[in-house]
Amino acid sequence: MKKTASHCCLAVLLICILPLPAFAEQKVIGKVKGLRGLVSIQRDGKTKPAFPNDRIYQSDTILTGSDGAIGILLEDNTLISMGPISRVSMDKYTFAPATNEYAMRLNMQHGTFVYQSGLLGKLAPYAVELNTPVGRISMLKEDTSFKAKFAENAQ
Amino acid sequence: MNWKSVIVLAAAILMAGCGTKENFVVLSPTNDGSVGALKVVTEKGSEVLTEDGKAIFIGDRNSAPSTPTPINAAETQLVFQDALRVHPLMPESFILYFQFNSNELTDESKKQINNILVAIKKRQSRDISVIGHTDRTGRDEYKRKLSLERAQLVYNILRSEEVTGEDMTIIYHGEGNPLIPTADNIAEPRNRRVEVMVR
Repeated sequence: MKKTASHCCLAVLLICILPLPAFAEQKVIGKVKGLRGLVSIQRDGKTKPAFPNDRIYQSDTILTGSDGAIGILLEDNTLISMGPISRVSMDKYTFAPATNEYAMRLNMQHGTFVYQSGLLGKLAPYAVELNTPVGRISMLKEDTSFKAKFAENAQ
Repeated sequence: MNWKSVIVLAAAILMAGCGTKENFVVLSPTNDGSVGALKVVTEKGSEVLTEDGKAIFIGDRNSAPSTPTPINAAETQLVFQDALRVHPLMPESFILYFQFNSNELTDESKKQINNILVAIKKRQSRDISVIGHTDRTGRDEYKRKLSLERAQLVYNILRSEEVTGEDMTIIYHGEGNPLIPTADNIAEPRNRRVEVMVR
């Protein structure tokens, strides 16, 4: 009986310690490395300004103002930067070489983008999926880097 | 003016108005000058891009992408200059080697320290991993301790007013993750190392 009680205590403790499910989904996928002007990050329905060395999480949306620009380093060394009036959402990102799991889905909604391939583009170029307002970009070869521009009202 | 020329003129005005150059993709060469390959798919078709100096233009989702079309390099540079100005440098990794059964760097590796400091400074990096390893000689516990000592030694060398302890993370593997896989108890100099990853 005593044992059961202590188990109960442990269970209650664990529930208290374990993060909420919504929080558990927050997966760090990269970091802000370069920054100019005003750049915002939308996360869980809240918008906050971005600062150098800030973490980027899966599902974040990043927007730059008219004088803004941001350079991001993802976990696999993919580098993505955007110029002014740009918007991207980091829909899905998995980089787990130990278990051979790779996925990247970004939605480049509008603006100017510089994309430099990292390890993901080397190990699993076909796992990279880039959505844009006018269509989809996919990689046909490893180490594919590109620049792209999409107008704000394009579709 | 006949019907045909009216249509051609209207099409030209329409294309100019829509700004077909508003949406485009261009490949970037890697350090060795080679480019990759990508595909653009819209509702109405797809195009493959494999060459440097050419772009695929896309009117909108409901039109086919253009075939690869030459694009002026200076113009491209101008369009992306703000993004390029904040584009991060690719992380750089350095490997420092140790003398046998010791936490003393080889002379060759001592000379690398300055290159690491330059890489940190260039990136204003606050995100440096110092990762210790050993070869497969000795007992496991000893190897783990030695790999930690090696990482700590490099950490102490790199640490200064500019590079603080908070900027660095120490990781140690013992004989795990060897650079050169060997059988147990093999003294492999290339596995006695500390990797410094500057992001």
